[in-house]
Amino acid sequence: MSASDLPTKEANVLKGHEGAVLAARFNADGNYCLSCGKDRTIRLWNPHRGIHIKTYKSHGREVRDVHVTPDNSKLVSCGGDRQVFYWDVSTGRVIRKFRGHESEVNAVKFNEYASVAVSAGYDQSLRSWDCRSHSTEPIQIIDTFSDSVMSVCLTKTEIIAGSVDGTVRTFDIRVGREISDNLGQPVNCISLSNDGNCILASCLDSTLRLLDRTTGELLQEYKGHTCRSFKMDCCLTNTDAHVTGGSEDGYVYFWDLVDATVVSRFRAHASVVTSVSYHPKDSCMVTASVDGTIRVWKT
Amino acid sequence: MDERDLVFYGTPIEREEELSSRKKKAVAEASGQLRTLPTWKQEVRDEEGRRRFHGAFTGGYSAGYYNTVGSKEGWAPQTFTSSRKNRAELKQQSILNFLDDDEKADLEGQSLATSTQFDTFGFTASEVARKQADKEQDKRPSAIPGPVPDELVLPAAESIGAKLLLKMGWRHGRSIKDSSTDSLYDARREARKAFIAFSSSDDTKSNIDGDANHVNDHSNSLERPVNDDNLSSQYTPLNALQPKQDLHGLGYDPYKHAPEFRAGKAGPGFGIGALEEYDIEDEDVYTTAAYDFEDTVVQEVEDSSKPITDHKHRLTWKEPGILPGFKVASISDYQVEKFNAPEVPKDFVPRHKFAGPLKVEDKTAVPPPPDVPPPEDSNMKVLIEGVATLVGRCGKLFEDLSREKNQSNPSFGFLMGGNGHEYYERKLWEAQQKYKDQKKLPLPSDGKSSQKTEKMNAENRGKILGERPLERSSSSLVSPDVNLQSNLSDTFMKPLQFSELPEVSKPFKDNSAKQERFQQFLKEKYKGGLRSGESGGASNMSEAVRAQERLDFELAAEALEKANRGQQSNLSAQQSMDFLTSAGMQFTSAGVEQSKDTLDKDFEMKKMYPKREENQWRPSPVLCKRFDLVDPYMGKLPPPPRMRGKIDSLVFKAEFIPVPRIGDKTGQNQNRSSGGLQSSAQGVRDGSADEEEDEVVVDVENVERPVDLYKAIFSDDSDEEAETSKVSKVEDPEKKVEVANATLNRLMAGDFLESLGKELGLEVPPDLPPYSHTNQNPSALEKETTGLNPRDGSSVKMVAEVPKSMDDQSPPRGKLDEVKVVKITEEDRKQGSPPPSEDRMDRRHSKRQRRYDSISDSYSSSSGDDSDRDRYSSKSKGRRKKGSSSRDKKSSSSRKHSRRRHHRSSSRSSRRDKDRGESKREKRKRRD
Repeated sequence: MSASDLPTKEANVLKGHEGAVLAARFNADGNYCLSCGKDRTIRLWNPHRGIHIKTYKSHGREVRDVHVTPDNSKLVSCGGDRQVFYWDVSTGRVIRKFRGHESEVNAVKFNEYASVAVSAGYDQSLRSWDCRSHSTEPIQIIDTFSDSVMSVCLTKTEIIAGSVDGTVRTFDIRVGREISDNLGQPVNCISLSNDGNCILASCLDSTLRLLDRTTGELLQEYKGHTCRSFKMDCCLTNTDAHVTGGSEDGYVYFWDLVDATVVSRFRAHASVVTSVSYHPKDSCMVTASVDGTIRVWKT
Repeated sequence: MDERDLVFYGTPIEREEELSSRKKKAVAEASGQLRTLPTWKQEVRDEEGRRRFHGAFTGGYSAGYYNTVGSKEGWAPQTFTSSRKNRAELKQQSILNFLDDDEKADLEGQSLATSTQFDTFGFTASEVARKQADKEQDKRPSAIPGPVPDELVLPAAESIGAKLLLKMGWRHGRSIKDSSTDSLYDARREARKAFIAFSSSDDTKSNIDGDANHVNDHSNSLERPVNDDNLSSQYTPLNALQPKQDLHGLGYDPYKHAPEFRAGKAGPGFGIGALEEYDIEDEDVYTTAAYDFEDTVVQEVEDSSKPITDHKHRLTWKEPGILPGFKVASISDYQVEKFNAPEVPKDFVPRHKFAGPLKVEDKTAVPPPPDVPPPEDSNMKVLIEGVATLVGRCGKLFEDLSREKNQSNPSFGFLMGGNGHEYYERKLWEAQQKYKDQKKLPLPSDGKSSQKTEKMNAENRGKILGERPLERSSSSLVSPDVNLQSNLSDTFMKPLQFSELPEVSKPFKDNSAKQERFQQFLKEKYKGGLRSGESGGASNMSEAVRAQERLDFELAAEALEKANRGQQSNLSAQQSMDFLTSAGMQFTSAGVEQSKDTLDKDFEMKKMYPKREENQWRPSPVLCKRFDLVDPYMGKLPPPPRMRGKIDSLVFKAEFIPVPRIGDKTGQNQNRSSGGLQSSAQGVRDGSADEEEDEVVVDVENVERPVDLYKAIFSDDSDEEAETSKVSKVEDPEKKVEVANATLNRLMAGDFLESLGKELGLEVPPDLPPYSHTNQNPSALEKETTGLNPRDGSSVKMVAEVPKSMDDQSPPRGKLDEVKVVKITEEDRKQGSPPPSEDRMDRRHSKRQRRYDSISDSYSSSSGDDSDRDRYSSKSKGRRKKGSSSRDKKSSSSRKHSRRRHHRSSSRSSRRDKDRGESKREKRKRRD
């Protein structure tokens, strides 16, 4: 994919959130997107048509992250109210509230079978919650982190989380092993490459770092944007050819994966770009910002 | 008891049967009471006697006019007239019949209101305009929904009063008064003044008149408007740009009792729940102001009456020459008065004399010592200079002190006239000169004849500001033949002289212009003073480039300073200079804003990070299940939080008890041969676990219990035992235990293998066969299956898990290798084995059975039945061994196995029945 195919044209603006939008995520097939923000709501959109479909209200404080099951039936969300909410998508009702985090919850993800939700909290812990049983107690608490856990990713067999203590830790369930990669810089957000071999970690020194998962080697560093004080997402494009991420000045950056050059940058928002999410198949991207809008970008 | 004797509180609950009585009552009431009561007190009740709810519109139990169809006036309709005598005329209805009074007034135009034309302050006009705008707003869609904000609507028309005034020459923002009144007033005042002056001459009248005048004056001053043009405008009423439309009183503050809602405090769009408080987390980190509440607080501005036009007006007034008919005065009354500094009388003797510095100053007359080259030793040089500076500043006293102190120190020889003394003298003199200069500046009049009431001249000022005097015009205080190095930059504390850095130290050699700017920069940086306008670079540079260059300079300067500070040897300085130069080149060429230092750091960082560490981690069984993965630890409990001996990390916590004991003993036996060890270990086992051995007997019955053995073994008992073990642990010195355990492990491994070999009747079992043989034994017994039972295999696997923590033990001895092989094959088999849960069930089953066997064996084994015992031990050992090896190949935990065996028995025994004690005892006896 050449740089010209990057989604740099604004296709839609999704307005509705009052206040900062903290995350915007495509669903598994990329037909819908979910957003959440400081207005304590989660919103479901059709980004391609620019339609707001549904609003999920129940959170008591800002919603920091949301994730949807691959079958689009359930949502999981978390935020400042220290709880993880498990929602039914169609009815918009909260099925379960998982309490246990001692502080704000920064990120949450389903596993592949949507049977477990793993949340990462400011209380330096990862907690996994059982979505199958009626238990609201965490299945397991991982508290080897020494600072706030900012982001979590799940593979079929692993839990990967990035923390402000500068580590990206991989918990291999199959082997029963924890691999800790210390980057030396607070990790803001981690994102898996689509082939699953690399981790992209956004660090607070305004650098994205690409790690090889098997060896823990630092493959590349991506610089140019500003990321010093906000939690901002980064991700790889659907082809893994480029790396994209927001900047605190409202810009969105595209780097070449291999040579780390800034392929494209454009001003996407008036304020901090909190979240970027790339379409799983097409060249399409949604970005969310503190300015309260979500923008859909296409080629 | 009679009911009348009781006192009732509250309303009794009504029952069905009571209803009938109530009914009766109701009937009675209807007949009697109702007649007596006035209409408005009567209540409507149904046949059951309950109050009927009606008249809902008026809200209750009465309808109409007190439950009547009547009215206040009575029953008769007023409009009735007999049509017989007096035919009712046809009533003409008009709209007026249906209107209220005020509406009528409105309709008929009888209301009194200001018309737009005579709307002095524009209220009505603005009202009308707003209405109009609203109307328009309704008609066409607009970006702003809702009613038009008041601020946007301005009165359309000038009020008639304003129009009139304007016609009369009044302008907006002026006070409404004609100039003639002003002049009239002035004239009156003049006259009064004259009168007062006149009257004061003759005293007789003055009292009365004066008084009167005073009063008059006073009252006048009160009523008198401020005269000045600019001030007068303040009395103009504020143009009604923002007519007050709300009903709030003056000083109304909507946030008075809700300060948290005051503008800016609220997060974007939202607060949180009413019952929650704002925390740190609720701060708006993004600092968005998009959703602020509209600020409706009435700001009480002091000069709120000042019209907006006033500002402009004032501006024009201030500009000279613009006022028509005036020009700027050529002779001004206003003169800056200058005060000369007070002259100190000649005979003034300052009372406070400071011995040190003044004494030093007295020496000014002393001719300067000759300029001596500094001593070779740079350390010495630095020392001398330092001492000299200090002495110069603090006086001779310091010199004496330090001389006394450092009498024995050879490096201070210069104080005693030794090596470098001359140089010291010179430096001292220089320092004194310097210090004196500094002293003199703030005290220009300290009695010195040479500089009495010295006025600030260019040189002094320059010195104060840190300017470098021009070459030859240097201050007269220093004799021209003395070339004072330090004078160049002495007003500031930095003794470094960047201006005379060697050629080497010019980091921007390649770019002379840049170098020049760098010098300039250095000068400014270290000497202070005024920055020249183009401080950051050439004037033709862009802002960004300039900033960049400034950064470069800062870095270079820093590096330079560092180099200078560490200027022990010229060589190192040279090096650092070179280094700097290269760094500088880098800046200029690449424009990278990182200095070499930070680059280095970066590089280091890269080398250091990312760092990878691996740890053991136990996923919880449920998590594994949910992830659809095989639990690597097979649902075993995690090891205790603190890792003690390696043996402890065995799955069975129950094993903790004997560990310290065994450890202690074996720790002493470390050096023995393996055979001896075995025996010793055996002995230990026997000794330490007497009771446990006994308890083995007990288990026979337990087996029959339909208990989930797995669970029982792994969780319940271990909990109990863990507790006790902890207690015992505490007593033991941890370290010792650990060491002991390690050795124990090693020993056990050998011991186990050996015993296994013995039991199997093999030297060193080379392959799988021995293993399968051992396995086959029980399986054949139990299930009559031939060959290797797959279930058995799985059971082997299951028991096999030994936590990883064991794997740091000493490498297994040779014999364990084949165990590994066995294990591997086991694992291969495992691949095809049924899912874990089933597996486990089977395993449990088989285990139980086997245990049964073994236990029954153990009865006899104690009496010396070799074959039976063989079977038992080999079975259990073999299982375990395989397990441990399958877990991780390194582990040589055979030691554990043997121990584990009795552990298991102990755990089982913990569930023993008390009545088994007998048999136990019996057995023990037998063994003994």
